[in-house]
Amino acid sequence: MDDSPRPPSEQSPPPPPPPAQLHTGSPTDFLKGVVGKRVIVRLTSGVDYKGVLSCLDGFMNIALEQTEEHVNGVVTNKYGDAFIRGNNVLYISAAETL
Amino acid sequence: MDASVTGIQEPFDLIRLSLSERVYVKLRGDRELTGILHAYDGHMNLIMSDVEETIMIVDPEGASNGRGVVNVAKRKMDMLFVRGDGVILVSPPSRT
Amino acid sequence: MASQILPLELIDRCIGSKIWVIMKSEREFTGTLLGFDDYVNIVLEDVTEFETTLQGVKKTKLAQTLLNGSNIAMLIPGSNGPEDS
Repeated sequence: MDDSPRPPSEQSPPPPPPPAQLHTGSPTDFLKGVVGKRVIVRLTSGVDYKGVLSCLDGFMNIALEQTEEHVNGVVTNKYGDAFIRGNNVLYISAAETL
Repeated sequence: MDASVTGIQEPFDLIRLSLSERVYVKLRGDRELTGILHAYDGHMNLIMSDVEETIMIVDPEGASNGRGVVNVAKRKMDMLFVRGDGVILVSPPSRT
Repeated sequence: MASQILPLELIDRCIGSKIWVIMKSEREFTGTLLGFDDYVNIVLEDVTEFETTLQGVKKTKLAQTLLNGSNIAMLIPGSNGPEDS
């Protein structure tokens, strides 16, 4: 058994560079991390929707579950599911730790 | 294909699963609709039938508590096309 | 010929730093810039929202937040925002 593992020699190729951790904070990465979590979606009108983010698409169209509509801090509606058209969205904010 | 209750891949799946169902639609200009959803497209243009429209009209003059008076107007339409850019929110019937 | 730098290259150099975002409406945000994309959608951390109304300025604290780029008017790198001036 002369096949003992050789120590890594200087001849072995250099390890590949670590996977480019370019923008771990990019919008795409944020959205990947926040799907399935509780979020606050604020519209440009100032109305808030709080719920669990089911999914979204490139237009920022959003599907929310267990949705509460808040106007001036008061719950004004509840929806089991809600589709929000993306052009109305001001921001999506994480309401629990990611 | 996983058509379980929460098995939606993209937001439009929520709308697709609501076809032929009574849905709630919130529109710009303090308008709300409920009606049967017959068709939709990528703009969220909608065809609805048996629609009741609710319009909130806030009258700041008639204020008694400083927040104005909200008048609610309702009317019914048999068949309706909704232009997608006015849509804020669509909620399907709750599947419980 | 002065060396050119693209506007978004400047913003790219601000990742990890404080930034002040001014929206097209009477709304502003400050926070730490985590990232952005070609539409200038922006991800912030430790966010404060400033909403200017007739009643005054309303402040809201937010955790990680994705701001829709379509409502953004201006970005001020390295600033703590309206209360920093």
